[in-house]
Amino acid sequence: MEKAVFIIFAIVAVGSALNLIAQRNPLYSALSLIGTLASLSALYVTLHAQFIAAMQIIVYAGAIMVLFVFVIMLLNTPEDHPEIEKQQWLRYLAIPFAAVLIGEALYVFREIRNITLPAQGEAEHAIGTTWSIGTNLFTQYLLPFEATSVLILMAIIGAIVLARREES
Amino acid sequence: MDTSSLGISYHAILPELITATAAIAIMVGDAVARKISRRTAGLLALAGCAGAAVAVFSLWGETGPAFYGGMIINDPLRLSFAIVFLAVSTLTVLISIRWIEDEGLPAGEYFALLMFATTGMLLMASANDLVMIFLGLEITSISTYVLCGYRRQDIRSNESAVKYFILGSFSTAFLLYGIALIYGACYISGAHPAATTNLQLIRERIADGALFSPRMLMAGAAMMIVGFGFKVATAPFHIWSPDVYQGAPTPVTAFLSTGSKAAAFASFSRVFILTFAAASVMGSPELRELQSAWTGVLAVMAILTMTIGNLVAIVQTNIKRMLAYSSIAHAGYALMGIVARDWQAVAFYMIGYAVINIGAFAVIEAIARRGDIRTSLSDYSGIGFRSLGLASVLSLFLLSLAGIPATAGFVGKLLVFKSAWGAGFHMLVVIAVINSAVSWYYYLRVIVLMFFSEPAAEFNPPSLTKSLGVALVIMAIATFYLGLLPGRALALLENAKNQATMIVAK
Repeated sequence: MEKAVFIIFAIVAVGSALNLIAQRNPLYSALSLIGTLASLSALYVTLHAQFIAAMQIIVYAGAIMVLFVFVIMLLNTPEDHPEIEKQQWLRYLAIPFAAVLIGEALYVFREIRNITLPAQGEAEHAIGTTWSIGTNLFTQYLLPFEATSVLILMAIIGAIVLARREES
Repeated sequence: MDTSSLGISYHAILPELITATAAIAIMVGDAVARKISRRTAGLLALAGCAGAAVAVFSLWGETGPAFYGGMIINDPLRLSFAIVFLAVSTLTVLISIRWIEDEGLPAGEYFALLMFATTGMLLMASANDLVMIFLGLEITSISTYVLCGYRRQDIRSNESAVKYFILGSFSTAFLLYGIALIYGACYISGAHPAATTNLQLIRERIADGALFSPRMLMAGAAMMIVGFGFKVATAPFHIWSPDVYQGAPTPVTAFLSTGSKAAAFASFSRVFILTFAAASVMGSPELRELQSAWTGVLAVMAILTMTIGNLVAIVQTNIKRMLAYSSIAHAGYALMGIVARDWQAVAFYMIGYAVINIGAFAVIEAIARRGDIRTSLSDYSGIGFRSLGLASVLSLFLLSLAGIPATAGFVGKLLVFKSAWGAGFHMLVVIAVINSAVSWYYYLRVIVLMFFSEPAAEFNPPSLTKSLGVALVIMAIATFYLGLLPGRALALLENAKNQATMIVAK
C-alpha cells in the first residue's frame, strides 16, 4: 500500500516537474510546480513527516506560489487566451466547490472534540509532529536555527540593496 | 532533553557573534544616523574584524568537546582558517573605504553585507555538521551575490551578479543533494540517531564499516566535490569565475577570489580530509578503494584547473580577467594540498595567496578609477615611472603570485608541492611546476608593460588615500614576512597538526 502511494505520487511529482520545464507559458509552469510541491508533500506524509507536509502546502504551494504567479502576471501580459473564454461554465463550479469546502469545515469543527490523541512516546509516529520538531529545533538544531535567522536577515538587506530606488 | 548536554557556549561562537553583531550595528547605525558616514561604517567593520580576531586568539588551544549538539567544533583547522578569513575581511574593508567614497554608493549596506559574508565564512570553518556547512556557505554566497551587483547602474556588475547567482544556486543544489545522499548512506537501523549529518558520527560510522551503502556515500561525496569545486572555481566548474570576477566591483573581486575560496577550502578540508580520509585510514579495504577513487578525481581536477587557468590567462587582455584565470590556477595548486590530505599547507597557501591577491586587486582598483574604466592591459603600458610606488607594489604582488622566492607565494607553493610529493603524487607535482613556469609569462608581461613600454595614453597618477596606503603597506610587509620568516606561522600550523592527529586518534 505504502509503496503504491509512493509510486503514484513520485510519478506525479516527476511528471509535473518535467511539465514545468516543457511548458512555454510561465503561468502553466508555475501551476505544474504546485503539482510537484503537492505530491512531494504527500510523500512527506508517507515518511511520517506530517508537519513538514503541511508546511510544504501552506508555505510553498500556498504563499510562495501565489507570489510567483503574481510576479509572472505582473511581468508579462500574455496574449489573449481564447480557450479561457470558451470555459465560461467553469465559473459555476465555484458554487458546489464552495459548498463542499464549507461542509468540510463544519464537519471538522463538529468532530474535533471527539478525537483522542495518540499516547506520547510512540517514537515511530512522533517523528513528524510539531512536538518533536519543536523540541529538536530548540535543542539539537538550536544553532542552525539561529544561523538561519542571520541568513534571512542578510537576504532581506541584500534584496533591499538591489531593489530600492536610486537616490537622485 | 537535557539542555546542559548540548554544549551551549557563547565563547565557542564568539568570533561569529562579533562579526554578525558588527553587521547589525552598521545597519542600525545607518538607520538611526540617517546617513552613516562611510568612514564610520568602515571603522565599525574593522572593529568587528579586530574583535573577532581577539575572540579567535582567546579560543586558541581550547579544543574542547563539540559545542551546540555537535554543530560547532573548536579545533586547529577552524582557528587557522578563521585567521585567514579575518585577514581577508580586514584588508577588503581597508581597500573598500576609498572605493565606495569615489563611487558614491551607500556604505552601510556594503560593509554590513561584507561582515555577514565574514560570519558565514567563519561558520563554514567551525561547522562540524553538514547542515552548518550548508548554512555558512549560503550566508557567504548570498551576500556575495549582492555585493557582485552592488554597482547597480553598471551593466557588467549586473551580469556578474546574475551569473553568479544562477550558477551559484545550481551548485548549492548539488552540494545539498550530496549532503542528503551522505545522510542516507550513514543510516543504521535502530541506532540513535538513525541517520546523521554530524561529521564526527559520519566518521565513526565509516570507520566502523557500519554504512547503509558505501556506494551511496561515494555518490554523495561526488556531489559534494561538484558543489565545493564550484565555490573554489576548479575546472571544469570554473566557467563562471572570469565573467563574475571581471564584472564585480574590484574590492568585491578581491574578496571573492580569496575569502570565498578560502572558506570553501576550509569546508572541503573538513569534509574530505578530516572526515572521509581520517575515517578510511581505519576502515575496510572497500572504503580505502573509495578513498583512492576520490583522491584520483581531485588529482585530475587539480591538473585540469591549473593548466586551464594558466593557459587561458596568457591570452587575456583585461587585467581583472587575467587575474581571474590566475585565481583558477591557484585554486588548482591549493587543491593539491587537499589531494595530499594536508590542510595546513592549504591554510598557509590561502593566507599567502589572500595577501598578495588582495594587494594586486587594490592596485588595480586604484588605477581603474571611478567606474572601473581602466582595467585593460594596455592601460598599464608605461605607467611604471609615472606612478612608481603603485607600479612597484603591483610588481611585487605579481612576482609573488608567480612564486618568486622570499615572498609568501613561494613558500605557499613549496608547502603544497612538498606535501603532494611526500604523499606520492610525483606526476602532479611535476605538472604543477611546469604550470608555475608557464604562469611567469603573463605575470611578467604586466611588469614589462609597466616599466619598459611607451605610455599609450596620458596617465595621471592616482592619489592614494590613507586607508588604501595602510592596506598596501601591510600587504607588502606581510608578503615578505610570510616569505622570509614563515617559521612562526608554520610552527603554529605544525602544532595544530599534532593536535589534530591527537583528536582523530581519540
